[in-house]
Amino acid sequence: MSGEDLILDVADLWVAFPSYRAAPVHALKGVDLQIAPGAMIGLVGESGSGKTTLARAIMGLVPPPGVVERGRVLFAGKDLRRMDAEARRHLLGREIAMVIPNPRAELNPVIPVGRQIANVVFHHLGVSRKEATGVALDMLRAVRIPDPERRLNAYPHELSGGMAQRVVIAIALACSPKLVISDDATSGLDVTVQAQVLDLLRSMVQEKGAATLFITRDVAITAHFCTRIAVIYAGQLVEMADTRAFFARPAHPYSIMLLAAFSHNPALRARWTRAAGEIADAAGEGCAFAQRCVRRQPRCLTDIPTLRAIAPGHLARCHYPVEERQ
Amino acid sequence: MPILRYIGRRVLFVIPQLFGIILVSFFLVKLIPGDPAVMMLGPTASTQSIAELRDKLGLSKPLITQFGRYLHDVARGDLGTSWQTTRPVTEDLFQRFPATLELITLGLLVALAIGFPLGVAAARRRRGPIRKFADYYGLLAGALPDFWLALVLIYVFYTALGWIPAPLGRIDMAVVPPPTVTGSLVIDSLIAGNLAALASSLGHLLLPVLTLGLINAGPILKMTQSTVERTLSSDFIRYAEMCGLPRRVVLRQAVRAALPSVLTIVSVLYGFLIGGAVLVEIVFSWGGAGQYAVQGVLNADVNPVLGFVVFSAVLSLVIYLVVDLLYFALDPRMRG
Amino acid sequence: MTALLEVNDLVKRFPIPGSGKVVQAVNDVSLTIERGETLSLVGESGSGKTTIGRCVLGLIDPTAGQIRFDGRAMGRGRSIRARDLRGRIQLVFQEPAESLDPRMQMGETLAEPLRYLGMNRADREQRVREVAEHLGLSERMLALYPTELSAGLQQRVGIGRAIVTRPELIVLDEPTSALDPTARAEIVDLLIRLQGELGTAYLLISHDLSTVRFISHRVAVLYLGTIVEEAESERLFARPLHPYSIGLLASVLLPDPELKRSSSISLEGEIPSPIDLPPGCPLAGRCPFADARCHKERPPVVSVGPRHLVGCFHHDRVAALDQTIDQFARFQEESNRLLSVGAD
Repeated sequence: MSGEDLILDVADLWVAFPSYRAAPVHALKGVDLQIAPGAMIGLVGESGSGKTTLARAIMGLVPPPGVVERGRVLFAGKDLRRMDAEARRHLLGREIAMVIPNPRAELNPVIPVGRQIANVVFHHLGVSRKEATGVALDMLRAVRIPDPERRLNAYPHELSGGMAQRVVIAIALACSPKLVISDDATSGLDVTVQAQVLDLLRSMVQEKGAATLFITRDVAITAHFCTRIAVIYAGQLVEMADTRAFFARPAHPYSIMLLAAFSHNPALRARWTRAAGEIADAAGEGCAFAQRCVRRQPRCLTDIPTLRAIAPGHLARCHYPVEERQ
Repeated sequence: MPILRYIGRRVLFVIPQLFGIILVSFFLVKLIPGDPAVMMLGPTASTQSIAELRDKLGLSKPLITQFGRYLHDVARGDLGTSWQTTRPVTEDLFQRFPATLELITLGLLVALAIGFPLGVAAARRRRGPIRKFADYYGLLAGALPDFWLALVLIYVFYTALGWIPAPLGRIDMAVVPPPTVTGSLVIDSLIAGNLAALASSLGHLLLPVLTLGLINAGPILKMTQSTVERTLSSDFIRYAEMCGLPRRVVLRQAVRAALPSVLTIVSVLYGFLIGGAVLVEIVFSWGGAGQYAVQGVLNADVNPVLGFVVFSAVLSLVIYLVVDLLYFALDPRMRG
Repeated sequence: MTALLEVNDLVKRFPIPGSGKVVQAVNDVSLTIERGETLSLVGESGSGKTTIGRCVLGLIDPTAGQIRFDGRAMGRGRSIRARDLRGRIQLVFQEPAESLDPRMQMGETLAEPLRYLGMNRADREQRVREVAEHLGLSERMLALYPTELSAGLQQRVGIGRAIVTRPELIVLDEPTSALDPTARAEIVDLLIRLQGELGTAYLLISHDLSTVRFISHRVAVLYLGTIVEEAESERLFARPLHPYSIGLLASVLLPDPELKRSSSISLEGEIPSPIDLPPGCPLAGRCPFADARCHKERPPVVSVGPRHLVGCFHHDRVAALDQTIDQFARFQEESNRLLSVGAD
């Protein structure tokens, strides 16, 4: 697919956080990620893997003192890194929208939620205040919040976590964006509420025809909500494949370790997990995952693997991917 | 109405608070060395006449009885008489408190007008000339004594340039003051339509207000800067940025979230300045309440001191009530 | 022989000051835990599971009902701090980072509970070494501070601090919900292994059903302060009979796109507030089976099989539905296949 057809084209993105009297810590080490219109990409990683930094870097909002060292972020063919801050701001919230975790802390506590939705509409779509409020009400209805007229004037602390998350989804989709980035959006919710919110997010995104970058630490969610899965480890994508292929034939030992965490068979799980005591400190020169890898070979400690195709559309960053299966 | 019930409860709570304040200050004031009877009669008085006066003033009774009597009087609105001015303390204070309140209210408004915008501007950028200026200003305002600044201002604007009237009192001797309504000369002149009095009282207010404003802008600046800085890096501001809201809207939200903290520091400064502006009052011969209380302390004139404490306490309690109501208005999480 | 822990008709209400309203946090809950057994309390926020845990520890007094630990009553001033109970019941918290003292090395944290048992220094050191071995922590790690450890390792120490007094019962309050899935799996393995080695009983409080299924002998499903279903773990996950249990299980996402969340029962809306509950079944407002009776009467808890209790008027209608495929068991088969290849 050519660059113009993609909604998002991230190439060789490096983000560094300078540290006092030491080499800078790289949160992202050359990430390549393409998202086609309407696709739902699941980005799976554990805490500290760089997944949130990637979301922030796409939006041009890497928290200081972090800096984007190099790389390219094309959004619908436009280079976001070369764009000035004002032009980029016009894209955020309108064409690139964010769904955040823990909305009761991230919504403004002193502004009614209806107004928070209307604000985004008002500033991006150039409509009147009154029209914007009308859109806010429509959005509250669309995200199926009961009694929307009254909830228009509710403050975030008066809503349950699930309701607040619906408000955030309403804000994200109010301007019909082309790309929705969801960052661990359901991590604080109860399971039944999580299921409802995920269903809602998917149906809303599909209705609006937006592409989604679905960032989560829970690989299980991506199985049910994404068309393609990318796994990030230590700032690098280590595996990427279409959902069915990924779950049927995961190739990277780290991906398998993530899946093994859900297995109820301790013996099998132990085959894919190194005990905490065995993990050495330094990552060394080779593969970033080598220290935790159960399949590590001498070469893994010296050569850095590249992300390469092991099957059509299936990429893995591993010298010895798990291929044979039966 | 939860808010009315809240106010009712707060007002009711004022009574025990006031009792506690009077209790503590009564016994503290009694610790001031010097016998009022000796001070009143002078060094030549006989032992017998002193004893008689002590009896008359009730000073020979046990402290606890004296305290009971004082409380009884306060409850009826009688704060006793000052032997220096020979007038009822209530009357004196009703004359002097408005002078102080006019001064510190305007002073704090000026302080806010300087400190708040400067604090917001400094919070927006971590580097640059504004930030540097704000840093130095905060340091300087914290280090300079207010009376010294007052003397410098007088030297420059009165002695050297002669732009303003003599720093003596609140209005020119030659100008007829307006009839007292509120006690604030500015407001009273406006009510009376007396432009000469208005111009003169404003002229006299200029330097003391500027002094208090310049000095107290320091803490307001620091508080505004640190709170706005914190809210600018808070979760909901980051989210507002992710939503692509214009910079000024985001900044407005951050400033709005910082208002309760600014309000807190302003209310604390206000309570403090009721007595704390005394040096500025003395430099400008303001005739304010603080000055009155200090004279009382120096001359073992007990009633003005206690009266001042009671007045300030009531005023502070009113201020804190108003501030709490403002918090209510500013933060929906408080109503619930 | 008496059960290790016996809770009978536990009720806990929290009056809301100034409003005359009452939070009905726990309503007539009964449960038992045998020695060496794990009972899980599952439910969503507001289900009362944490309140039950705190009552069991004697940290708050029940409004009504009894709690007996090893035959003797808890509560009314008798808590885990009581002299004869010290060290016999322990607690593991949800947030390991917050429950560990940041200024204490791990070794000190592990030894801390032993001080209160009046154990001398040499014995303490000996015991800490034993526990470190159980936990798989090296000598070097005992000298580290909490901030130097990952969340998973921190929770490992949190568990170590609980087992160091050799308790008979550990109350685990959401021990894995703050962790990444891989760290969660490690903690679950550790808990299972420790139970095998030490015979400790667990009261696991959790909303994470993947963890619960793995670790529990029995599971009690809580909804608005009431146990709506209780059964042995395998049975409950294979054949839940309460509509709420089914809805809860159907909400769990397993990492396999082939396992569609198929269920004829889906729960609408959210858990209502536990203030001034109406009479009748607590689920009536969200349940597709609810009829007029459900709104008026509280369904009794009835036995529907060996150690299987359910509180629903319509459990036979639920049972008649052909919807209960044990997606956990199917996932397990698939997962076994997937993990069996390629390693070593």
